[in-house]
Parts: sequence; structure tokens; C-alpha cells
Amino acid sequence: MLNVIDYVPGTTVLHRLNPVTKLALAASIIIATILADGYAALIALLLITLLLGVYAGTATRLLSLLKVLVPIAALMLVLQLAFVRHGDPVFLFATTDGLVSGTKACLRLLGVALPLVLVLTVTKTTDLANACVEKLHIPYKYAFTFTTALRFVPVFTQEMNAIMEAQTARGVEFDSKNPFRKLSLMLPVCIPLLVTSVGKTDATALAAEQRGFYLRTRTSSYRRYPFAPRDAVCGALCVALIIAGAIL
Amino acid sequence: MQPIIEMRDVSFAYGHDAQNALSHITLSIPAGSVTGIIGPSGAGKSTLAAVLSGAIPHHFTGSLYGETIVDGTDTCDMTLTDISRIVGSVNQDIDAQMVASVVEDELLFGLENFGVAHDRIEATITSALDAVGIADLRDREIATLSGGQKQKVAIAAILALAPRVLVLDEPTAALDPVSSRMVFECLRDLNERAGITVVVIEQKVALLSEFCDRMVVMNKGSIALEGTPHEVFGHAAELRAIGVDSPRVARISNSLMSKGLCTAHEPCLNVEEAAQLVASIVPAGATCETCVSPAPHTPRPHAEGAQPVVRFRGVNFAYPGGGASVNNLEMTVYPGELVGIVGQNGAGKTTATKLLNGLLKPSSGSVEVAGLDTRDVPVSQIARHTATLFQNPDHQLCKNTVLEEVAFGLELAGVPSSEAQQRASRVIDRFGLPAHEAPFALSRGQRQMIALASVVVLEPEVVILDEPTSGLDYRECMTVMETVREMAEQGSAVIMVCHDMEVVSDFAERLVVMADGCILAAGPTMEVFNDASLMRRARVKPPQVVELAAQLARDVSGAFAGVTEVSGIVDTTAQLVHARNEEGSHA
Repeated sequence: MLNVIDYVPGTTVLHRLNPVTKLALAASIIIATILADGYAALIALLLITLLLGVYAGTATRLLSLLKVLVPIAALMLVLQLAFVRHGDPVFLFATTDGLVSGTKACLRLLGVALPLVLVLTVTKTTDLANACVEKLHIPYKYAFTFTTALRFVPVFTQEMNAIMEAQTARGVEFDSKNPFRKLSLMLPVCIPLLVTSVGKTDATALAAEQRGFYLRTRTSSYRRYPFAPRDAVCGALCVALIIAGAIL
Repeated sequence: MQPIIEMRDVSFAYGHDAQNALSHITLSIPAGSVTGIIGPSGAGKSTLAAVLSGAIPHHFTGSLYGETIVDGTDTCDMTLTDISRIVGSVNQDIDAQMVASVVEDELLFGLENFGVAHDRIEATITSALDAVGIADLRDREIATLSGGQKQKVAIAAILALAPRVLVLDEPTAALDPVSSRMVFECLRDLNERAGITVVVIEQKVALLSEFCDRMVVMNKGSIALEGTPHEVFGHAAELRAIGVDSPRVARISNSLMSKGLCTAHEPCLNVEEAAQLVASIVPAGATCETCVSPAPHTPRPHAEGAQPVVRFRGVNFAYPGGGASVNNLEMTVYPGELVGIVGQNGAGKTTATKLLNGLLKPSSGSVEVAGLDTRDVPVSQIARHTATLFQNPDHQLCKNTVLEEVAFGLELAGVPSSEAQQRASRVIDRFGLPAHEAPFALSRGQRQMIALASVVVLEPEVVILDEPTSGLDYRECMTVMETVREMAEQGSAVIMVCHDMEVVSDFAERLVVMADGCILAAGPTMEVFNDASLMRRARVKPPQVVELAAQLARDVSGAFAGVTEVSGIVDTTAQLVHARNEEGSHA
């Protein structure tokens, strides 16, 4: 099963950057998006993210994420239109100011969500965790929690699917067309999922401890993540992006 | 041999439980041995494994008495990390055991933590992967591996740490016979070549008897029997009382002994031993005109002229993402029949069952269940005529009490609540389940019984069983299968996917053999099992008795041809010996 945040193998510069640099790149795009105020800048930042995705060969993932995000962004636009009432009326309750702040909010939402996903698709989670522990001095405990959480997503999805199938075969109407009915049917099913997940987490903790989890230090990792010249170049670009975002 | 682990009078109770999960266990594990631990569920096998690996007292809390000495030190005086340098353990749940998403990282994790010198890491990883034969999987994502491959990764990750003891808790519970065998072969290899001591908990008696040099039988928290497999399986009566299965060939030799037909004092553990034993009592070429060929179990006459309740017509299906597709399935099942579907993992068996209960719709061809075309009606409608018992009961349970759980299916089918509750309580009484307990507070075996009860209560026209016996002990397995047989006798059509060929040969009347998404053959169970070339093509290992009968028919006497049951082999042998004795007295 394909997950939006699963690693996509590749050898592009983006793949080979230090994981910490990639995080910095995502962070600077996000910061720039928040600081920027013009349409041109917001759209440009979004385009940068998408072009990076095309370059790294993960554009399909970003697009499938967009499919989920666009309706949310649309909802946000409607809310903004409803709340921002000053400016010239355009139609119904929409005003010019409302349209401006609404569309910008939409663009920012997309601009903030996509870069992080881009980084996750071009980085193995273990590399990300190890590099953060080595360079950013994040305690391994937290890095492990993060990678385990990501790793459990597909495991639990599978579990949930199996449960839904079993319940459907029993005659629960999960195949109902009504989304609210479906949701109300799904709630009781969360109990078995919760029970199994607590059990799994405990088993994972035990397995990790039996393989020396508590002995691990910052320098344990076999792989090293040195900064290369390309990381410095990327760092400079990050700073430029943030400054550009602040000005434009 | 010097024991590497020694338990002296160990008792343990979880949390505030008054009842001991282990009581007064004294056990020593000799260095370099392969020890198999077996016993009914709830006997304390997993608890014993936890004590051996140090998870008790360091991870699970409770009251512990006695002492466990690992390599000369009491486990209470060592940290769990230090114990795990000597004892590596592989748990039951493979997914939960993994800490990384790529195979290589999974192996690296332990090596990094234990501070293995970085220049030795590469060689260690390579040799660990080679030792279990998965060098080609090094860069694979763990999520994309099969169950057997995952189990090997888990073993390799522990091996990389060079433990002196491996403790495995039901490593093959989720695997098909071929992969189970591969895991055991891998363990034997490690034991012989690297001298690693192996302790393995397992329900599959035939594997244990073949690969272990020592066996420990547990019952109610204590050790009931201990010795070599030959010694242990000689105690047939005790094993039956405890609820532990014996290999079929051991049953044959035990019966021959008790009838005084042979003087051997050790049971046979594999087909070759049994064939030799029988050949030694029956002279080659012995014939017997008067021998009554043992009646194979008479197929239940299903209602003459009855309409088929399940009909597959030219069914094709492929998953959108690729993987186990099925092609041109043709199958007809009548009320009252018990049909087994056999084949390797990935042969399309589960896909076939999902097509049957409507979870999947055929891309071409048609599936008809109880007169409904599965493409025309929603799954919830089909569910009123079919009931499915899944491999993992936990996917099925969702209510707060056993009573509600069992009644739930009836209520979904539109039966008024009060009537549903009444019918449910009748079934619950029959199964002896606690009606007002929460299902998740009960043991795995009991949860499977609840799932079964909620199938029985529906009185469905079609019953679908997907690996109904995996994870169950022998007694639970027999209870489940006897119940299923009763349902068939009452007119339900039963379709069962099962890896345990002994269960299949005992209960199914007709078999459908699948391989690579196609039905290779279908026919009466014994005809199918006796077709050696078909079995090879489907990569299915026929039950021991069938193999033995075929070998005896070839080498000893034609009278054994087609014998399918333990009693059949014993009776035929007795008759042949008897006939020869009479001949002798006439001459």
C-alpha cells in the first residue's frame, strides 16, 4: 500500500542533501510563506515546492496530497469570506478584502503543508532521526518516538482495514453511501484498534530495550551525516528565501 | 552439558493476580541444545519465555519467586540490556518487534546500541543476513516483505548481536507450512554451525519432533513432561489428557505397541520411521484376500437434487495494485458440504473467500451465494446468508460483553433485540462462555470461541472459515472443528481455508486445490491427497498418514493403498500380521 509520506528512492541532489539541510529548506520555505504578503511571492513559493517535487520524482505524491488539501483550503476561503466583511461587495456576502485575505490564507495553507511532506518523501525516516540526533542534539528518545509513529501508520491502516472487512462481512453497513452513518459505525470499531495498538506499542518497547535502546548515545549511529558543500549552498539559498519572503 | 540457563523453583504471578502463571518451575537449558516447549494455551509458555529472556522481572511486573540463572548470574541482578547480550528473543508479533522500516536499519539498530566497532559492522550484517539466507533483502522495505521473510529479518537482527541463546515465542504461528519449515531449518542450521542454543515455543508438533533434541511439555504453569521427543511422545495418554497433539505417526506406533504387534518401545516421529516399523512386522509382499479395506469416512449424503448454495462461474479478479489475482475460478458447493481450499500462501485462497462473502466483486464471471449475485447486492445483504470466521478474532469483536457480541450479528440481520439475546444466550451456554465478561479480557482461545459462537448463532446457509485453527491449541482446535462439522450436518455449506493438512484430512470431504490464482483440481479429499503429482504442483505436503500409506502400499503391501486414517493403518497392519500367522499355522 502506498503512503503519501513513504520514502521515494532516488539519487537527485535533493535526496543527497543532509537530512538536517532538507529540514532547514522546508522550514525556510514555510517561514517565507508565512512572512510573504504578495500573490506573486506566495505562488512562487508554492511553485518552488512543486518544482522541487517534480525534480525529485515525488510530484505524484504532492498532487495526491493536494487533492486532500484543496477542499480544506476551499472551506477556509468560504470561512474567510464569511468573516471578513469590509471592502467592496462582490457577490452575496463576499467582499474584495475578504477575497484577498481568503485566497492568501488558502495559498499559505498549501505552502506550509507541502514542503514538510516533500522532505519526508525524499528522506528515510531513520536517516532523518539519526541526523537530527547527531547535528541538532535532539535526544534519541524523541527521534525514536517520531520514527516509530511514522512506521506504525501503515501497520495500523492495515489493521483498520482488516477490522472494517471483518465487520462488513458480519453485516455492518460500512458500504453505506451516507458518510455520517459510516462515521457513526466506525466509532465502535476503534475499540479493537486501540486494544491492539496498546499491545503492539508495549511489545515494541520491550523489543527495543532488548536490543540495547538505553545504551544508545548521540554517537552510536553507524552512518555519519557530514555537511557537504552542497549543504552550504542550500543553506545560503534558505537564508535568501526567508529574506525574499520578508521583503515581498 | 553445562546449562546456560537454569531456573530453580521459579513461580510467577502477573500484577495482583492471585493465580500463578508459573508455579515451581525447575528447568535447565543445556548449552548447544534445541529445546521445544509445547502445551495448551494458558499453560504459561509465553511467561516461561519471558522469564528466560529477562522480560520478567524487568519488563512485566508481578510477584516472582525462585531464581533464574543466566550464564552464572541471577537475572534479578542484571539489567535487561545485559541479559539480552546473552539471550536474544524473538516475540510472537513480528510487526511489533521491528524498530526500523528498512531491513538494513533493522539490523543496524542493535549493533549501534551495543557499540559494536564500526569497522566490524559491515561484516556482521552480511554474515547475519547470510546465516538466515536473506542477503538479497538487505535494502527492502520491511512493510513489503512476506510473513516468513519478516520472521527471518527478526531472527537476523537478533543474530547480528551474537547472542548465545535464542528464545522464540511461536515464530511460525502466522506462517504457512513451507515458510514454517524454512524458519525451523534456519534455526537448526544456526544451532549446528554457530552452536547457538535455541529455545522455541511451538504448537506444530510434527516440526518440533523433527527439529528438537529436547522437549518440555507445560500444563497449568508447571512442567508436565520433559525429555527427548521420542520419550515425550511415548506418553500418549498423558499428552491427550493435557490437550497436546501427537504426530499421527506417533499415534500409529503407539497403537501398534499397545496392541502388542511390535516390541519397539519408542514412538515413531516421522514417516520413514513408521514405514520401517510397519515393514518390520509385516513381511514384504504380504497379501490378504480377506482383509476388509477400511472404509474411508463416508461422505455425508448431501440432499439429493438440492440446489447449489455457492456457485463460481468463470470468476476473474485482480487487485488494482497487482498481487494475488485469481483466474477463471469454477466452483459449486451444495448445502451440507464441508469443502477445504488448500494451497500455498499467495495462491489466491483468501481472495476466493473474499469474493465469496462479497468483500471483493469479480471483474468478470459471477459469484452466486444463496441465489444472490454478489455484484448486485451490498455486502451487508450477503452477510444475512453467510458468516465468516476470520483468522484473527480480534478484528471481529467490538462489543462490551460476550452476550452483546454474540447477539450483534443477529441484530444486524434484523432479528428483534430480545429474540437475538435469547438465541445468543442459548449458544453461549452451549459453549460455556462467560456471558457478561468483556471479550477483550478473555484469552485468545476464548476470543476465538466467541467469534465462533457469533457465527453459529446466525445459522447461516454458508460458513466461510479463514484459517480457523491458527493460534489455537489442539483441544480448542478440535472444539472449533467439531462445531463446524455439526453446522454442516445441519445443512450449512462450509468452505474452509486451512494450512493444517491433518485438520483438512480429518474434516473436509472435498478439496479445492489452488496455485497461482487458479484452481488446479477439485475432488474428494483422499483422491486429491493421493495424487502425488498434483500435491507437488500445488506445493502442498499431504498429511503424514497419506504419505505413510502410499509408501507402505509401494514397499510392503497393496492392502495399504488409500488408507487415510490412523486406525486404518493400525487395522490393516493387524489384519496382515494375523493373516500371515494363520497361513503359518495351516502350513
